[in-house]
Amino acid sequence: MSNHLPIAGSKDEPLHAIGARFKTPEALLGAVERLRSEGISAYECFTPYPIHGLAEAMKLPKSILSFLVLGGGASAILIALSMELIPSTLIYPLVVDGKPLNLSALPQYIAIVVALTLMIGAITAVFGMILLGGMPRWNNPLFAWDLFAKEASRGFFLAIEARDKKFSAAGLTDLLHDLGAGDVTAIHLEAPESPQGT
Amino acid sequence: MSTAPTITSTEQDAHELSILARPPQVLNNRGPLWVTDAVCSIVEGKTPLWWYAAITLSGGLAAMGGACILYMIVTGVGVWGSNSPCFWAWDITNFIFWVSMAHAGSLISALLFLTRQKWSLSISRAAEAMTVFAIICAGVYPAIHIGRVWFVWFLFPVPNSYGMWPNFSSPLLWDVFAVTSYLTVSSLFWFAGMIPDLAILRDRATTKVRKFAYGIASLGWLGTARQWRHYEMMYVLLAGLTSVLVVTVTTIVASDCATSVVPGWHATIFPFYFMVGAVYSGSAAVLTLLLPLRLIYPQLRELITPSQLDKVCKLLLMMGSCVAYVYVFELFNAWYSANPFERGAFWERFTGSSAWYAITCLSINLTVPQLFWFKAVRRCLPLVFILAILCNVGMWFERFMIVTSTLTHDFLPSSWKDFHPTIVDILTATGTLGIFFTLFLLFIRFVPIMSMNELKAALPGTQPLHSTEESH
Repeated sequence: MSNHLPIAGSKDEPLHAIGARFKTPEALLGAVERLRSEGISAYECFTPYPIHGLAEAMKLPKSILSFLVLGGGASAILIALSMELIPSTLIYPLVVDGKPLNLSALPQYIAIVVALTLMIGAITAVFGMILLGGMPRWNNPLFAWDLFAKEASRGFFLAIEARDKKFSAAGLTDLLHDLGAGDVTAIHLEAPESPQGT
Repeated sequence: MSTAPTITSTEQDAHELSILARPPQVLNNRGPLWVTDAVCSIVEGKTPLWWYAAITLSGGLAAMGGACILYMIVTGVGVWGSNSPCFWAWDITNFIFWVSMAHAGSLISALLFLTRQKWSLSISRAAEAMTVFAIICAGVYPAIHIGRVWFVWFLFPVPNSYGMWPNFSSPLLWDVFAVTSYLTVSSLFWFAGMIPDLAILRDRATTKVRKFAYGIASLGWLGTARQWRHYEMMYVLLAGLTSVLVVTVTTIVASDCATSVVPGWHATIFPFYFMVGAVYSGSAAVLTLLLPLRLIYPQLRELITPSQLDKVCKLLLMMGSCVAYVYVFELFNAWYSANPFERGAFWERFTGSSAWYAITCLSINLTVPQLFWFKAVRRCLPLVFILAILCNVGMWFERFMIVTSTLTHDFLPSSWKDFHPTIVDILTATGTLGIFFTLFLLFIRFVPIMSMNELKAALPGTQPLHSTEESH
């Protein structure tokens, strides 16, 4: 089906996706809207910097990261308070100048609570972003496409995966060309013995 | 004839708009591809000779500092000049100096990001790096000043066979948590912001080693719309958390002094005092680091524009004025308290045997930042560089004045004794400068010194037409 297209990866391996490069973010946005109207959902856009409106056009849900951070921060409050109060009041009450150690002396425990809450919140934010973004993942079938592997910082790329129910290489190639895409390429998986990511 | 007024009003509108328009982020209408090339070329080019010379010098200083620390550990804290009653001297002075310098980096990147001050985009990465390295330098001191370094784990609440726990009511323990959190969060903020840019270096890498190293560091970033969505959310969250953390950490460090009952320290203004001093010295440090970089790499002159440096100078001026206000207010407080010890401490500070610390500090910090009221001064970059270094010297003396002049003259005149640094004190402090510059030189050479993705997203014409107007 995709014989007339340039091929990346190993020709004998199954087709993974069809990739295309757009010159402007507007063209990419236009393509996304068209793909959605065609009912295609297994596609992904790759941009060198965040494009306003792209996630909305792709109908991506709001990131759940803020809730994770809230959860991380809230549990940090509990962890920090128990870490301070259990030794101070039960295991090892260290009375200095006769000052109280129980909850009536809450202000003296706040500094560590705040510091730990912020630290665990930040750790949740970074590791949450990494995991939600599908990282770390050092190999990717798309790296077989040399243009993408080298020029990802210089263009706006789109890849439509072959697993999509409405996937048709010939139809999509024409569609992508109509939408002004350049470098439309059939990306096959690489042969197992060849190293990934080269 | 009837068209003439229309033309005039259009011209006038255009003129007014040009006055209102924000100064360009990158000069000469450079596009996103140029930005990528300009920033990456610093990392990808051949290692310049000056870099080898500089890292040899700073590495030598760092090694000397390390040797001094080792000498101190095997001999004991007696090798330092700190002695009764001045148990805290250069160790805590340098700790406060470095940790304060770190604050401006976080503030510039986090708070200015949250308030959408786009002018800070090109300097924020370097400022964050400065933060991380300054905290590392600061962290050296609390660990070693306890004397028996092998007991440093006592600071952490670790269940142990002695059944002993730290004193959670002590600001010194709060410090442990504050500095640990600060180092963790600022390193994460710095690294996470760098992931997309490291991926660019991975894609552009020409050698296998570089491709492997940047490939591992960039965690497989592809720049998918989903990744950007989470990334942008993370960046806002981290900026928010970091902004709060900066204030918390300064407050906790200030509490080390303020919660004691020592005259000259026991003041509620201390957290604010430390905060403004921190941003003041940090802004000066940002200028000290960026101006030579701009000189060495010509392409950076278009990325770090005079108008952005002008704004850092204004920040320095504002914070310098706040610092001046605090000095005056502190003196007023001492007088108004009618407490003879409080009054005595300040009288001693300015007339005693170590008055020159206070005089150096005040004569620099009250005058130098005020020069930045003048545009001619702000635009003369060599002068800005010298003044920025002076500001940091002034701030070091401020920390020194606060720590030592207070301790050397406390309640009991019979125990009053001046502090004199030893050669180990001086070499260790110089060593931390070496550590700082070594790390900064490695940073310049191996990672992108600017956030390329943020810069590119903010350039005119890089966003789809319907959202080019600033929507937020």
